Amino acid sequence: MVTVPTTLPERVIHLRDVQKAYHNGREITPVLKQVNLDIDRGEFVFLAGPSGCGKSTLLAILGAMLTPDSGIVRILGQNLVGLDHEARTLFRRQKVGFIFQRFHLIRGLSVIENVCVPMAIRGRSSAPSRRAAGDLLAAVGLAGKEAARTHRLSSGQQQRVAIARALIGDPALILADEPTASLDAKNGQAVVELLRNLVKQQGKTAVVVTHDRRIFPLADRICMLENGRLTSDTCESIATGDHSENLPWV
Amino acid sequence: MYEIAIKTLIADRGKLITALVGVIFSVVLVNIQGGLFLGLVRKASLLVDYGEADIWVGHRNMHAVDFPRDIPTRWVYRLRGIPGVRRAEPYLIGFSEMTLPSGGYESLVVVGVDRESLLGNAWNLIEGRPESILQTDGVVVDVGDDAKLEYPHVGELREIGGRRVRIVGKSHGILGFLVTPYVFTTFEQAAVFSRKDPEVCSYFLVQIAPDADVDAVCQAIQGRLPDADVYPRNQYSRVSINYWMTRTGLGISFGAATTLGLLIGLVMVAQALYALVLDRIGDFGTLKAIGADEQQVYRLLLVQAVVLAFAGAVLGLLLVAIMHWGFHSDKAPILIPLWLSLGSCLLVTVICIASSILPYLRLRRVDPLVILQG
Repeated sequence: MVTVPTTLPERVIHLRDVQKAYHNGREITPVLKQVNLDIDRGEFVFLAGPSGCGKSTLLAILGAMLTPDSGIVRILGQNLVGLDHEARTLFRRQKVGFIFQRFHLIRGLSVIENVCVPMAIRGRSSAPSRRAAGDLLAAVGLAGKEAARTHRLSSGQQQRVAIARALIGDPALILADEPTASLDAKNGQAVVELLRNLVKQQGKTAVVVTHDRRIFPLADRICMLENGRLTSDTCESIATGDHSENLPWV
Repeated sequence: MYEIAIKTLIADRGKLITALVGVIFSVVLVNIQGGLFLGLVRKASLLVDYGEADIWVGHRNMHAVDFPRDIPTRWVYRLRGIPGVRRAEPYLIGFSEMTLPSGGYESLVVVGVDRESLLGNAWNLIEGRPESILQTDGVVVDVGDDAKLEYPHVGELREIGGRRVRIVGKSHGILGFLVTPYVFTTFEQAAVFSRKDPEVCSYFLVQIAPDADVDAVCQAIQGRLPDADVYPRNQYSRVSINYWMTRTGLGISFGAATTLGLLIGLVMVAQALYALVLDRIGDFGTLKAIGADEQQVYRLLLVQAVVLAFAGAVLGLLLVAIMHWGFHSDKAPILIPLWLSLGSCLLVTVICIASSILPYLRLRRVDPLVILQG
């Protein structure tokens, strides 16, 4: 395996020998074992694998929500290991955009207000944020829905709002957790296509956790986790086409 | 973040209403209970507060204006010679009975005032004039005691202490702490009605010269009349109120009821805020996941608590105004000074802020990871 120097500016994610185990009393359950992963700027990468293989745990580590037991986690040039709670919160606020499986839009807020939430957290003024949110909503095909209540939208539309929310703060890294899990096939495909296009247009990097084989052709790479390990043979570039037949667990 | 706080608060209408009811309940309770209390205790010192005397001089250990002990009237001459004393007049408070047209009787507090100065006379007359008591057998009664006295009208003849009297005026709002009506007349007539020796009185009412210091004059009077108690008006007012407060437990009972009500309000607000937070654990987890820190989360709760307090206080005070309009009467006066209303608003704000601490402690334990776990 070729070791890429971590100082390269294109390197967005650099993991080395990352290990994580969950403790339940005396019982220790290893979740991630010696995970090594490098993702460069502009890549649209899927993390795939069967349920319980550690995908969400790895995503949580990449999103500074969880710290590994050991190993190196360098995201956008910053070593996340050893950061305290406040520093990790600040990192998420400034560097990462999240898209969740169940959208997690804030109830009571309109579509545009939901998109503006990350800007409010950053203490940005309302008017420019609303303009940016309006542009993003137009980009995700929700122009004219700005004042709508989110619970009145379809699942696909809600996930588009979540995409706009993830992008509004101009984060360098987008992390998506099973973004198609709550959507039907058509909407799931459309939403991930949209996300890929926006990520590519804006020069961002995205890591998408999924086991939805229908969207695999949209990935630049599919990194497969199995029993807490990234299996190197599937963590390779995929140009186009359905490569799911290569994935042993599908 | 303020917009998020307010809009998410409004979105949960059911819990918002519950919390608002708690705040409104607290505001109304503090104002109405406090207003009733102040109205009631004001009655205990009514004669002192409206008597127009700067200093009250009475028997040693005097403790309530309605329960005086006789002192020699001749002491008044000693008072009048004291520097700083502009006027000193004897004042009589005695007890008697009025014979009613139906054949029954009603106990009375007879108040006798000096004929010249009319110091300590009835005020707020709606019929007749203050000097009407100088008419032969003239007495002033209060319109609030009409039912007790079987609706006397001005010009009507009645009998007090076996003597004929004529109703020459009617006041409004002079209802004492005792259930017995006040009747105002001249000092001499009051002595007759209450069968007292005219050589004794209950108090001396003293007015001081414009440039005199009330405490210095009090000290001078005390020096000249060592067997008397001497109080400035405000102090004797407090002494009279304190008498009823301590002897009847009035302060404790009103205070306990108000505190209990406040506690109920606090529990309602705290419970509603807590339920609101529990219902929105996912939303708070989302906010934390996308970068909101602990301070921002608490600020959000704090804004919700303050908005709740403000909205509840405004609605509560509106309700208090309606209740005051509906229930205030001379017999059960509800006195709500500005400090009481502002104090109640401050109190509920503190309650709401305190109530936000419990849900915040719950939120501190919310890990943003829960969002990734579904």
